[in-house]
This record gives sequence, C-alpha cells and structure tokens, in this order.
Amino acid sequence: MSGHNRVGVIGVSIQPSIETGKRSLEEILFDLTKEGLKDAGIGIEAIDGIVVAANDQYDGRAISVMMASGPVGGVGRDILSTPSASEHAFVLGALRVATGQFPTQLVMAWSPTEASSLAEVQRLATDPYYTRRLPMDENASHALQAGALEHAIPSVADSAQAVLRKNLRHGAVAYPHAKTDTVGADRSRFPWPLREHMIAPPVTGGVAMILASEDFILEHGFEDVAWIEGTGWATEPSFLGDRDLTQLPGLKAAAKQAYHGAGISDPANAFDVGEVADQTPYQELLAYDGLGLCDRESWSERVAAGEFSAQGRLPVNLSGGSLTHNPIFCTGLIRIAEVANQVRGRAGAHQKTGVARGVAHAASGFAMQYNTVAVFGRDQRGAK
Amino acid sequence: MNTPRVGIIGIGQSAFQRRREDANYPDLVREATSLAMQDCGLSFEQIEAVVYSLSPDAMVGIGNAERLGVDAVGAKNKPFLRINTGGATGISSVAAAYYHIASGAYDVVLTAGADKVGECGDSQTVLNKIWDPTYERQLPLGTINMLAMSAVRYAHKYGMDEEDMARVVVKNRIHASRNPHAHLRKVITIEDVIASRYISWPIKLMDCCPQSSGGGAMVLASEKYIKENNLDAVWITGLGHCAETYWMGDRMGRGQSADHADAHALAQSFQRSYRMAGITDPQKQVDVAELYAPFSSTEFHSIEAAGLANEMGESIARMRDGEYEIGGRIPVNPSGGTLCTNAIAVTAMMRVAEVALQVWGRAGDRQVPGAKLGIASGNGGDHQLFGTMVVEA
Repeated sequence: MSGHNRVGVIGVSIQPSIETGKRSLEEILFDLTKEGLKDAGIGIEAIDGIVVAANDQYDGRAISVMMASGPVGGVGRDILSTPSASEHAFVLGALRVATGQFPTQLVMAWSPTEASSLAEVQRLATDPYYTRRLPMDENASHALQAGALEHAIPSVADSAQAVLRKNLRHGAVAYPHAKTDTVGADRSRFPWPLREHMIAPPVTGGVAMILASEDFILEHGFEDVAWIEGTGWATEPSFLGDRDLTQLPGLKAAAKQAYHGAGISDPANAFDVGEVADQTPYQELLAYDGLGLCDRESWSERVAAGEFSAQGRLPVNLSGGSLTHNPIFCTGLIRIAEVANQVRGRAGAHQKTGVARGVAHAASGFAMQYNTVAVFGRDQRGAK
Repeated sequence: MNTPRVGIIGIGQSAFQRRREDANYPDLVREATSLAMQDCGLSFEQIEAVVYSLSPDAMVGIGNAERLGVDAVGAKNKPFLRINTGGATGISSVAAAYYHIASGAYDVVLTAGADKVGECGDSQTVLNKIWDPTYERQLPLGTINMLAMSAVRYAHKYGMDEEDMARVVVKNRIHASRNPHAHLRKVITIEDVIASRYISWPIKLMDCCPQSSGGGAMVLASEKYIKENNLDAVWITGLGHCAETYWMGDRMGRGQSADHADAHALAQSFQRSYRMAGITDPQKQVDVAELYAPFSSTEFHSIEAAGLANEMGESIARMRDGEYEIGGRIPVNPSGGTLCTNAIAVTAMMRVAEVALQVWGRAGDRQVPGAKLGIASGNGGDHQLFGTMVVEA
C-alpha cells in the first residue's frame, strides 16, 4: 500500500498475556484504549474513527463489535470491524487515515480464552463437508505445514528447535512478569511433528494502536512516531488441498506490495528488526523466506549462526513472539505493534538501540492463509 | 478535503429467495461476483483487492466463512479482508472498498458476499446472541421484539398507528413487484397486513422482512482508472458511520443516552455523509432513497434521520400523502427495500447498489424518473451501528 497521505503510529498498548478472572472483557478493552491514548498523549476526543478486529467465535457472541463499541469509545463515532484477522484492522485503519478523511484512527484487537474449547471454535471454520470431520483445527493445520516442510527439507527440524529456543529466550527478557494463564490449554496434545512448546498455550491478550495523519502529527508535534512506509496483505486459497503448504505465495505477494510502497529492493539488508508470525517455529522460518530475509536454503546455517537472535544481524521476535505468549486471534496485530514500538524507541525491556526501520509480518487462519506485511520507518521522508 | 472521487462501475445481484438449494454458500457469492464482473466488463486480473461482506458467521453455520469465499471472489494472492457490522455490513463493506481506493492505494476493488438466512434454521436464535449474555440476552431479546419496543415508543411520541405501519408495507410491496431481484413481490393491501398475525406487538408478520438467501457484489474504481478506460460510472460523494449505545436499557427510561423511538446515530451518520457531499437541504437535493428498514415502523424514523421530513413524526402524514412512493416527491425504497428482501450480509450493500442503479438510470421498471442524487443507509446490531452513503450520477 502506498497512499495519498502519510500515516504514522503515535500510540501503542500491548498486553500479550492478561490474567483472566480479574476483569471483564469490556474492562480489558476500556483499559487498553486508555493506555493506548495515554501512550499517544491524547484524549478520546481526538479519535474520530475506530477499526476493531472483533471475532464472534472467539468472543462467544454474534456481531461482537457491538459489545466492544462502548468500551473503545465507539458511541457517536465511526466504527468498523474486520473479523477476518486482527492485522486487517491495522490495514483498514491505515487506509482510512491515508484517504485524508480521518486525522486519527484507533485500531484494536483482542483474544479471550473463555470458550470451552478453542479447538472446536477453530474446527467450525472448516468446510462442513470436506475437512470438518477430519477433525481439523488451527494447530493441526500448522502441524501439517510443519510436516510438509520436514519432508521437503529434512534439516528444518533443527532450525525450528533453534528458533523456538531463541524466541523463548527473547520472551523471558521482554515480558518477564507477564502471566501465562493457560486456562483451557491441553499441553499434552502436540500434533506430529510438533513437539512440546512448539505451540504456546492460549492466553488472553489485547492490543491497541493509535494511527494519525502526517498533518495531525506535525500539527501536534508528536515525537516517537513510527511512519508506515509500506503495507501489503494477501490471502492463500481456501482449501488446504489446493495449496503446497511449504510455499506461501500470498506472503510473497504481500511483501511485494509492502516493499514497493517502502521503496525496498533488498529486504535482506533493509531492516534493523523484525517481528514475524510464529504460531510454530516453522512459521517463522517460512516468514524469513517469504519476506526475503533469508531463503530456505540458508535457514540451517544462518539460524544456527544466531543471525536472528537479539545480538544477531537482524533480531527477529525480540518480544518472544507468539511462541512465548499466544493470544491467538490478536497475535498478528501484536507483531505489528511490536515493530512500531521498536521504531518509536518505546519497546521497553526488549528495545534494540538505534532502530530506524523494521518489518512486521502477521499470519492468520489455517496454515497461514492470510498474510500481512508492514514496514515502519523512523524517518519522516518527504514531510511537508 | 481533496480526495479523488471513487466510482461504482459494476453491480451484481443474485436471485434472492427463501431458499437457494441450487447453490451452496460459495456458489452464491460467485453468482453475484460473476454478475458484477459482467456488468463492469473487467476480468479478475484487473481486480486489485477484495472486501468480503459477511455478518454473523452463525447465519451460515461456518466460523470465519469468508475464508471459504476466497476462491469464489477470485482473491487468491490478493489483498482480502472481511467486514462485519451486523445488518450494516454491506454498506460498511462498500465503504471499506471505497477507502482502499480513496487512500490512493488501489484503483479497482471488488466487494462481495452472500447469506443463507432462509436456510439457517431460525435467524432470531442466532440474533439473540448479539446481546450481552449476562444482562439482556435472557429477556429474551430478538431483533423483532427489540424493534417492537421502538415502534411502541415511536407510536407513543408521534402518533403512528398500525395502519400507518401497514401503509409502508403496501408501498414497498408495490415497489418490489417491479423489481425482478426482490424476494417478496406479491402486492398486498392494508387489510392483508392488519389481518396477519402478531409476531411481537405492534409488529405483525407482514410488517417483518423475510429471511432471504442470495448474494451481492459491487466493483468500485478510482476516477483516474474510470477515465483512462472510458468506463461508465456513478460516484460515491459522501459516506459515514456512527454508532450508538449497545445497551437497550440505555435507550429507555430515566437517564437514557438515546431515545429508542428515534435513530439519532443514523441521523449523525447522514449528517457526516451530507457534509462530505455538500448536501445542505436533503429534501430538495435528494431524488431517491434506499433506507435500511427491516420492519415497517423503522422506515419512519429512518426517513426522519435522513432529513427527508421537517421534524420527527412528520413522515407519518407524508407517507399517507404518498410522498415516498415512486411518483411521489422523494421515493423511498423503490426496490421494495429490506422489507421485501433481506439476505443480511449483503442487504445494506444492495441499498447502495439500488441507489446507484437509480442515479445511473438503470433501475428498469422501478426507475425514479430523472434521479441524479440518491442516498442509502444500513443498520446493524441492536439498531446500534449505522452506515450511510450519497451516490450521484
């Protein structure tokens, strides 16, 4: 995406793991909104549009944006919902600001764990005739993808283990005090070839971002802005049987769009930091390839050399990723918010010094059906 | 504001019926998409992004059912996202497609969807789940008794009676009889409506919209693309959304934040759209309106929220005078509206599509002569989420 008007991120609130039973979902959303606004240093009156990613199945309601509208300040405002993926709320929010019709947008997503079985929730998203009876859930689809990769690249299992160890190390630094409430998780089920810890137990989480137009940012003198340089998103086909699960043409299409917008021709050397989808460590490896950060032939060597660890050439998932905290539905928007915060210099304990440009990748659905890429930069190129 | 214009270049409406057993869910989306593609004359290669229109998943019995629609709309390896704002979803999806183009990011965007409300078992069982599980779901609320309470309040404040409600149904059925896409096309009388059984007083069976199955699709494009390719188009010149409180209790009694008789957030949304389109006197400037009114009583406060009457309650007398009929001063729902066709995921999209056809001069037997500027609306949730649009020739 490369629009008429430049858009920046001026506020972020990330809660990758929220202890359940203490607050209602409405209270969690209200608190996230307040914290995002506080981080931006503005009040709700400065927000004139909202995009939430409210997913009926995870929330256990029909049209769950209805419930969310009040706590996020939606009453009297222009509010939309993108239930397809949390990262799609970011995309639509950025598009709305880029039109020049909205100075600001609040973008939010969350993921509760109150459903009696998240696997059943996910299974209902399968085709009722062909795949629902398998039974298929998202973990099973991720395992199929991992299995396909192991078949194609026998050394990938070692690389996946190294990615897992890296992200858990990063997560311990990034969010040492975050609760890992694993209500409803069944830690004994790891579909082959996934092994223990290769999918983190589901937790409740949420994230809010405040986007603003260049005019608004300049007028109010915001510092610590992460400018959106490029965004792309794309979908794979519906049926797993129609896909080669070792390849992600949708991610490559999304990256191409984002890099075109950002003017990036050599992604392997373009970024200081990255946050990518890692529901399993195999996903992170596929992201390296799809984003042009490291082709699959080099995974084994470069992962073993620590290139993507905190001290490496391109740290990836300094937050610990969703292998550390897994609020399933909002992990995509969290990846995007984490990179925005790195670029803003506000990532906290896991801040890398001197980040000028970062790349975020989000994936959702069965075996990464939806892929979204966002590039953030510190420099206000071409500002008025 | 200096945003380049966005045009509508293609429209597809499937057959809307009680049941569409000849087509599964993705088939219905494909049917509408194919019609829209034929209408604009483009190929799928020229579609750069897709916005998928789907309200509650439970209505089609598949979670995140948009994933199964990806191939039906030709979105493989393309930007694709879904919108859900309940009954407003269709107009919200058109708005999202508009933002794709108005941002400058894309030139040609498809929005499409379908619903199988007529085959979901009981839509009210699904729609009961929109309310808070602790406080309001157990009353038990449904969209019919929710709006019956609004009708009672509106009647109390403004003097509407059941014959006035029936008059809306009769008008819209006459309109629908001229619309080959409409689900309910049989012309009926006020006596027929009055004689139909109560569903939730004062709303009777014939005051209610049907449960329809069908699909809808639209193709939008940038002004630059339209001019470069010599395409025919009508233009979205104003749009907006506005939400009101989720809680029914907050619209009633002491301390209410909104009055359940009225549609104040819908009015605010229209004001946003009008401001953008430069409309200062809707009664003089609007030629035709497609207003989302799933129950006869709600057409009155929708007309008033759109500024097509001088004050609240005045539309009742104007309806009696035939002002909102085809041939009247400002025809409202010349397609027959939501009262005659309601495949929820695309109902509000079809409000925009029908207005577009009107200002295009392509509305066939339901054409409002000389229509050049039209307005559309969509209502979602518990009369909570509203979207509005202005479309001009």
